[in-house]
Amino acid sequence: MDKTIKLVGNAHLDPIWLWRWQEGCAEVLQTFRSALDRLKEYNDFVFTCSSAAYYKWVEEIDPQMFEEIRIMVKKGRWVPVNGWWVQPDCNMPSGESFARQALYSQLYYYEKFGITCKTGYNVDSFGHNGMLPQLLKKGGMDFYVFQRPNMNENSEIPENLFWWDSADGSRVLTYRLPDGYAANGKESLDRRIEEMNKRAEETGHGMMLFYGVGNHGGGPARGDIEYLIENLEREGYNDLEFSSPDEYFEDILNEFLDLPSWSDDLQHHASGCYSATSLIKALNRKAENALAAAEKWDTVSSIVADSKPCTEEFEKAWKKVCFNQFHDIMCGCSIMEAYEDVKESEGYALNIASESYNNAVLRIARKIDTWIEGVSEPVFEERHFSGADNGFPRPVVVFNPHSYEVELPVRTHHPSKAVTDSDGAEVLFQNVRSSRSNDNHLDTLFMAKVPAFGYATYWLEFDNEARAEKELSGEQNFFMENEYMTVELDSQTGYIKSLVDKKSGVEYAGENFLAIPTVINDETTDTWAHNVFKFHEVKGLMELVSIERVENGALRSVVRTKHKFGESYLTQEFILAKGQKTLRVDCKAMWQEKFTMLKFAFPTGGSEESSTYEIPCGYIKRPCNGEEEPALNWADLTVTKDGKRVGLSVISDSKYSYDCPGAELRLTALRNVIFADHYSDRPAADFNFTDEGLNRFSYGIYLHEDEAENSDIVKQAHTFNNNVVAVPESYHKGELSQKESFIYTNLDNVIITALKRCEDGSGDLIVRLYETKGIECSRGYIMSKLFDGGFWYDIGKHEIKTFRIDRETNVSEVNFLEGIVE
Amino acid sequence: MAEAIKLYPQLTRVVSHFKKYDLEVPKSLLEVKAKKPDLSDFPYPLPLRKKDYCCYCESNNGVMWYGGKGGVTRYNPNADSLTDIVMHFSARRDLLDNNVCALVPDKDGVWVLTDNGATHIDMVLMSMEDKAYRLLDETLTYVQRHSMVSQKRLSEAGNLKSILPYGHSDNDGTFSAAYAIGEIFRYVTLKRELGDFAEETMEARKIAVRASEATLLLMYIAGRGDGFVARTYLTSNEPVPDDGLFYKKNGATASCVNTTDARNKKVVGLEVKADAPIPERLRRLYTCDGFEDTDITYKGDTSSDEITHHYLHLLVAHEFLGREDPEYDELLRTAAVNTMTHIIKNNFALREADGNYTTWAKWNLEYFNSPMGWADASLNAGQLLMYLRVTMHLTGESGIWQKTYDELIEKGYADLTVKHYDRFNQVCLQGGIDFREDIMYGDHMLAVTSLWGLITLEPDPVLKEKFRQAFRTWRGSLAPEFNPGYDFLYFLSDPDNAKPDADRIRTWFYRFNVSRLAASVSLDKRRDYPVRTYRGGYKETSALLPGDERFISKYDRDPLEYKNEDSGGVFCVESCYPYTFAYWIGRYFKFIEEGTN
Repeated sequence: MDKTIKLVGNAHLDPIWLWRWQEGCAEVLQTFRSALDRLKEYNDFVFTCSSAAYYKWVEEIDPQMFEEIRIMVKKGRWVPVNGWWVQPDCNMPSGESFARQALYSQLYYYEKFGITCKTGYNVDSFGHNGMLPQLLKKGGMDFYVFQRPNMNENSEIPENLFWWDSADGSRVLTYRLPDGYAANGKESLDRRIEEMNKRAEETGHGMMLFYGVGNHGGGPARGDIEYLIENLEREGYNDLEFSSPDEYFEDILNEFLDLPSWSDDLQHHASGCYSATSLIKALNRKAENALAAAEKWDTVSSIVADSKPCTEEFEKAWKKVCFNQFHDIMCGCSIMEAYEDVKESEGYALNIASESYNNAVLRIARKIDTWIEGVSEPVFEERHFSGADNGFPRPVVVFNPHSYEVELPVRTHHPSKAVTDSDGAEVLFQNVRSSRSNDNHLDTLFMAKVPAFGYATYWLEFDNEARAEKELSGEQNFFMENEYMTVELDSQTGYIKSLVDKKSGVEYAGENFLAIPTVINDETTDTWAHNVFKFHEVKGLMELVSIERVENGALRSVVRTKHKFGESYLTQEFILAKGQKTLRVDCKAMWQEKFTMLKFAFPTGGSEESSTYEIPCGYIKRPCNGEEEPALNWADLTVTKDGKRVGLSVISDSKYSYDCPGAELRLTALRNVIFADHYSDRPAADFNFTDEGLNRFSYGIYLHEDEAENSDIVKQAHTFNNNVVAVPESYHKGELSQKESFIYTNLDNVIITALKRCEDGSGDLIVRLYETKGIECSRGYIMSKLFDGGFWYDIGKHEIKTFRIDRETNVSEVNFLEGIVE
Repeated sequence: MAEAIKLYPQLTRVVSHFKKYDLEVPKSLLEVKAKKPDLSDFPYPLPLRKKDYCCYCESNNGVMWYGGKGGVTRYNPNADSLTDIVMHFSARRDLLDNNVCALVPDKDGVWVLTDNGATHIDMVLMSMEDKAYRLLDETLTYVQRHSMVSQKRLSEAGNLKSILPYGHSDNDGTFSAAYAIGEIFRYVTLKRELGDFAEETMEARKIAVRASEATLLLMYIAGRGDGFVARTYLTSNEPVPDDGLFYKKNGATASCVNTTDARNKKVVGLEVKADAPIPERLRRLYTCDGFEDTDITYKGDTSSDEITHHYLHLLVAHEFLGREDPEYDELLRTAAVNTMTHIIKNNFALREADGNYTTWAKWNLEYFNSPMGWADASLNAGQLLMYLRVTMHLTGESGIWQKTYDELIEKGYADLTVKHYDRFNQVCLQGGIDFREDIMYGDHMLAVTSLWGLITLEPDPVLKEKFRQAFRTWRGSLAPEFNPGYDFLYFLSDPDNAKPDADRIRTWFYRFNVSRLAASVSLDKRRDYPVRTYRGGYKETSALLPGDERFISKYDRDPLEYKNEDSGGVFCVESCYPYTFAYWIGRYFKFIEEGTN
């Protein structure tokens, strides 16, 4: 067995952390210059560096140096790794984000260097979700290097080298760095050489030693390289060799080793980062959803309205989102000033999304035939509601970006006296309080049923007699009910005192209240919460200030509570609408409590508890041991209660952190700690805190029978996070009918996450989808008017599939790189 | 066990081709004026582009037929299964060519006019048992050779009348064993359902015994006296192909025939013992046709594939034929003992006449630790353990067999069985290719047969669980085939964790092509099945095509492979075992049963 220690000269660069991006950019330039100089000085030295974003900076700022890098890459002396835009946080980005990390980066590497990265490399990221093997493989990478959690944090994960499997069956050869990514200086190098030698002897295979100044860049220093050269053949030790991760893994493959395998996620490290700095979390979620939806409608528009696709703009926008998923940004542990930059760049992405979205849906809407002969003509030129004043209803087109039909309340900002659908049937509606304090104070909410990834047209008759004060009458009770559940809030505490799933008949509250706003003491940790995995020290529960029923109509009921803790306030509106399986809670928190967390607790009780969390393109079960857990749109607690297997899922529009201490699920909504505090001695200073001030967010409560994965939770959560859009329209002739579906799949456990143009400019369409319930299925099919046809597919459990459809309707299955890279 | 899945009679495609002006061709087909269909709102994926359809007609029960440049599409909106709503027919198996000019309905079927003639697509109501018999009949009529089955070559594509009388396969033993196992299960199923002396039972027994004997003969026919198993044999009226090592029996010895392989191995003319007695009831398989021992040329260099199938056959034949025929059981037992002894004596390998191991029958640690054998170790370890368990079961003895078994367990053979995916995946990555493009699809059958045999016979619960775990390591590559021939044995092996999927099982039987006549399909014309290209260039469809719309193959090919041609090319007719093996095992173990509409 070859037990050579591969010396990986690298520079771990944080583009933002204790500095802003401008400084990070300068550090990249300086580090790359240094690396090139070292490569020229030492013929055997090899340099490894990740993150396409850095190369892009160099290309734009110093093209001459970029050329030097190209030459070194061609010679194999400079090895780009990690075919992603940065080293992102590996828990919170969506599956589609990971696809984009790979797409834009690997295509960039391919274009500039003629290669794609084989090794995924996230040596500093704080935990790694269980779907990464699939996300890496489909991004063209077979190998993975990480460091956190280390052996002290999780010793169950194989110590160094192992096969890592995701639930779909994908597998990457994975290496956990035993002792950091930035050895430098003789003492550090000596210690690590000895450690690696020992590990090589114990394991019987070679190891990697990462050296080079990191975090704020730097890379391998001259002295370190020379010291290593002196020690290449140290007596009593295995050989040392300048190398790269690619070469290490390829050499390992040629050894006949029976390595251990691991089929769970790699957790935990810095559990406080799942919730620190709500701002970036909210912006990320919003941008991910907005871009994915805008891109879908832009694609439709380019076909039905013959508009120019905004592919290049989306690329720019996604790159901003990908950049901000860098672990120290997304994890909320950078300096406060950095988040001003983050707001700017996320704003850039969001603006591209909203403009292209609006342009696209209006282009489509204007192709819809809303003209009624003999009726539309007299009001065609009229504006605002004068037509409606004359008793003529106005069309509103509702766009559904999901690949499944939705039926839910939609808001327009004017009151109505009647709503009908495109067939003339009456539609349930309710005039509700608006956010403005102008004219009649009323908006219309109407129940829209919109086909899968399509639109439906509704006709709203304006009600100029409507008055807000008429909308609420009757006694003040705090009981709400629809087809799926009953909810009652306690008048003394403002917590949920009864929550019953009407199908199972199970009472989820029972002896305990639910949705308890709980303040947790978080004073003794740092921003990351290094070495802290549980947040259980309750400082107190928020106390009720007021409770009132604000709506009680045909379409929905709303109860508003106000709570107080210390100097902080929380307003919640509990909204239960007809036909909705999710109880929505819109929150406004004015938070002042230093070193605290705000959690919403759902102590359902019951036995045989099982907790499930959404991860990118899938879900994972984790123990109900009270450790803080990362999740995407939802987390779930399923228990046996009253002899039945039932679950309560909590959905969030912007949060990523939960815990589950036994038969209790808690959403961590806020974490208010000092920015970038690394167990400092906190000198007397007027620190800024991560979540202080106004925070708006929403969460949802969904009840189900059976295990979470067999429920409707994925669609509920995606719908919650990505609402339909209502476009007020006018009267015109057009070739499109008033209701249309553009793309559809027959499988209930599959959702489509991307519909876009191929990045190679061919005009080909890209459709990406994934399986949501852990069930392999055959005879799935996609039908679409966009390419006037359809195709069949089989799909494995948890599998992500990407299809490319050319102009002749030939369909190929490709990976995230869209078939552009061979 | 769960309730049996009911298989109902299905309208099944039966195709006949005609010249354009044959009398059978209806005049209306030649006169009908084609009308382009309006498919703008067609609700399912269509095999061809909508614009490529040029004609249509309606047959019984509102079934629509659409013809175009690329074949004929049948649309039955009321079909019970999603798979059956849209069917497609393409050249050359279903049509003479793909340029459809006109269609006229004919009851449940249709007449199709294409550039090169006319085709009658008859949709015949057929039970799955009827299909088994129909396929068996085709095999008995056209495919079997000395009661062995693999495939027969044709001189004219698609024309059964042009069948060549000779032709062997490297794996006659493998395919004949699988065929024999299927027929044995047919016999015992009918025996249970109809009684011992029902005409159908008696006929089934006759065919099963003959197939079993033909398979068993290969374990004796070399006559070396050391348990060496032949791949296949030829009689003196059959030409010896230049394909492997052949030994012509001359009496006391056999001499190695001059072939390229023999020359490469420098064994041309090598003499080897050949006079060990062959049981008379097995000899009759060739003596009844007038051949003597000296008319026999057998094929050597036998592989582990052959041995694995032989041992599963020994187990099944012993259970169902041997127990009612002690004389035959003794032959089975002797064969098991002889070959097992050979393998043990030769350091867990088959040894050829020149003293070297055969190319592909090595089960020893030296092979497992070699670059070539490292990835095979898991499969082969399970095979060897299965042979030993079968030998113990047949002989009722432990002794040397148990001692050897224990030693192998001690050496880590059971642990090796669970390493299939780990090692195979690593080797694929090493080669820079994806897992699915490096699979030897024939290995699937070997894994299934050896692990089922092993799990069935293993008394130690810890080892049994380990072998189940081993079976699971194969599921990732087995499952996408949806082959009940594999799945039934998997369900039997791991009943607590694996459950049959009724829809998939029904689809597989319903849509298995009614003939094994290879003639190719036109997958390349279709738009409804995405193509996935792996990094090594291998192509698969993203969904499994129904059996009657994809190429014909044995169990040794990837049914998802993107290709038009059948695995034996368009000049062949294959045997029925892929269907009958699955069907009769399914019937016997009550996974499936026939239902009536």
